[in-house]
Amino acid sequence: MKNAKGFIANANIKIMFEIFSYGFMQRALLTGAVLAIFSGIISVFIVLRRVSFLGSGISHAAFGGVSIGFLLGVNPLITALIYSTVVAFGIEQISTKGRLAEDTAIGIFFSSSMALGIVLVGLSPSYNVDLFGYLFGSILAITNEDALIAVFVTIFLMGIIFAIMKELYFITFNEELAFVSGIKVRLIKSIFLLSMAIAIVVGIKLVGIILISALLVIPGATAHLLTKRFYRMVFISCLISLFSTISGIIISYRLNLAPGGTIVLMLSVTFFIAFFNKALNNA
Amino acid sequence: MKAIEIENLDVSINSKDILKGINLELGEGKFLGIVGPNGSGKTTLLRAIIGIIRPTSGTVRIFEASPFEAIQKGIFGYLPQSQKIEINFPARAIDVVIMGIYSRLGMLKWPSRQDIDRAEEMLSIMDMAGLENEPFSNLSGGQQQRVSIARALINNPRILILDEPSTGIDVVGQEDFYHLLKGLQKKLNLTIIMVSHDIGAVTSYVDEIACLNKTLHYHGSPMGALNDAVIKQLYGKHVDIMMHTELCEKCERLHSERKH
Repeated sequence: MKNAKGFIANANIKIMFEIFSYGFMQRALLTGAVLAIFSGIISVFIVLRRVSFLGSGISHAAFGGVSIGFLLGVNPLITALIYSTVVAFGIEQISTKGRLAEDTAIGIFFSSSMALGIVLVGLSPSYNVDLFGYLFGSILAITNEDALIAVFVTIFLMGIIFAIMKELYFITFNEELAFVSGIKVRLIKSIFLLSMAIAIVVGIKLVGIILISALLVIPGATAHLLTKRFYRMVFISCLISLFSTISGIIISYRLNLAPGGTIVLMLSVTFFIAFFNKALNNA
Repeated sequence: MKAIEIENLDVSINSKDILKGINLELGEGKFLGIVGPNGSGKTTLLRAIIGIIRPTSGTVRIFEASPFEAIQKGIFGYLPQSQKIEINFPARAIDVVIMGIYSRLGMLKWPSRQDIDRAEEMLSIMDMAGLENEPFSNLSGGQQQRVSIARALINNPRILILDEPSTGIDVVGQEDFYHLLKGLQKKLNLTIIMVSHDIGAVTSYVDEIACLNKTLHYHGSPMGALNDAVIKQLYGKHVDIMMHTELCEKCERLHSERKH
């Protein structure tokens, strides 16, 4: 029995070494870890500000940006970042000025960007467009350059979000109060929107356009079920996001599953465990 | 020094005139009640004073500064009409009070032990001691208002602005609340501007009253607002005003405090 346990432990250690020995897995785990922590923080504000649909809208709109990149022959992530940022600020402006309800503005940008993407991909001169990889994620497609840019940009933004966290918390509590109290509401909201757009673009290759919004919503929603204290919520959200992303990547490798889908399923499992646990405790 | 000077203020929203030709002055340490029917522009006037809404024309001066400069100087303490707080928002009573000092602290600086002690002291002044760690969303309407006043006052503002603060509070709670405001005005030499639709209740507590319905129909002593002609102008018809008399227990408390 003891020998059997030792054998299994040795086998597991061997598998872990094998996983970490592959360059593509190192890049996926590194990008996944920083993205998971960053989206864990952002997710708390997305859930508390009730802008989950905005995250979904911006991520789907990124497809329009990716297709522009294909058409122009430049890195699609760069065009996706510019396009997503413009869409995020566009939705914000239209809904703030009261010209359209926010969900209507998101619905319009969301569908027109997807339509633009489909049309432009059709016009693209490139024959080896990895459309599936962008839509559903492909860890094999993460290059050294992608991983390095993702790590530096995400860590830089995490620092900024950390610097404005209490102001963002106040704005989330009540925007008007924060403004009258002297908080620079427009600046902080702009940084938040930009952070959302960047988190989405960084996550495109890992999880894909269709599923990235899950990373922006589920960790915060799960943490919200588990605590009523704000900073604990941020910490728990990051832990859930990190655990689901890393375990999702490892499980997808071991079982030969799609990594994006596995990561999101891991997030969903943690959410439903927390949900039913809370329901049972309240019963 | 005048706390507030408003000259020829016009506000239009989506080409609709909300406020027209408002002129109003308020001395430091005074308690002003703004009354008027629904849709009369009371909240818009408050929002123009605190700089959330830009006037179409005219000027607003706060202690001789613009509303924007007044915000930067921390002159305002503000309680909006509706807190619109999500039911399970992760904030305790003490967290809400501490939010009031975030702007003064600046980015990357966190509240010190002294700041937390001060927040606890403010809650204690508001009779909220022992409820510091209670989730804000679990508190009653009256308790939430007390926490919000503690937040508004933690930064020592010179003007406290309240928009329909008694909404969601029962009659007894409202009386206690107005009483609390009156006490704070005297103790801190605070200028208070309070919007209310309840002209009867407000007249018992304020020093001056402004009757608003797109234009300012009356500004002066509270008793003058009870003139039938003013009421007719304001509401478009005769309205019976229920107000507190000297037989009212709360008013007696108020009068005896005034004597002291």
